[in-house]
Amino acid sequence: MKKKEGIKIIRLGGELEIGRKDEIRDSLASSDDAAAVLLDLGEVTYADSIALTELLRFCADSARNQRPVALVIKTPQFARLVQYAGLATAFKIFGESSPALEYLTECTRES
Amino acid sequence: MHARIVTRSQLSIRCPAQSQYVAPVRHALAGFLQALDFERQPLEDITTAAGEALANIVEHAYARCRKTTERYLELTAKLDREGRLRVVVSDGGSFVERRKLPGRGFGLRIIRAIAARLTIDTSDGTRVRMIFDRGS
Repeated sequence: MKKKEGIKIIRLGGELEIGRKDEIRDSLASSDDAAAVLLDLGEVTYADSIALTELLRFCADSARNQRPVALVIKTPQFARLVQYAGLATAFKIFGESSPALEYLTECTRES
Repeated sequence: MHARIVTRSQLSIRCPAQSQYVAPVRHALAGFLQALDFERQPLEDITTAAGEALANIVEHAYARCRKTTERYLELTAKLDREGRLRVVVSDGGSFVERRKLPGRGFGLRIIRAIAARLTIDTSDGTRVRMIFDRGS
């Protein structure tokens, strides 16, 4: 099995909603070789449950593959959406990129 | 897409039930709420809840309908005399009671968390009626 290397940063911005479902899924699928993934969603202006479902699926797959994932969420609408959906503990969420990267670096060092 | 502001306090939109129409309908609702001086958080929350109902139509409402069925979605928003916002999102499809699957079905949960009241009428198509307090 190929050794996984490095922290992959995936940036998604704008409105993450039903019209971009395939794009979201494709973007997330591009991280297969990474040891850890930082999903930088700091520029997201709106998100819906379709996007949340894709993120949740990705994080569940990553957990099965022992690949840590951190999310950066800055937008209040997005942060509340996660709360309303009851998913606050389902993701590792940070308000900024730096602590998220530190967390992932620590995780990859431990493994 | 057919949109009109019937009075200063009522918005009505009807368009094809396709994913590319969900964002424009949501934006129109946001513009309507801005015109009514809703503050940012309730405005965002209400458009989030409406967006969930709209996305649900696109994803599921017409899955079991004949190809000849007109596939539309409709949104009306109206400020009532008590200052509450009443939003109805409807379609001409069939309501499908889905199995609860892990990692799915967040839409209704999100709407329930935001709306002061939610009723779903499935007698003729599906009508999702939401009432929001001005501060919700």
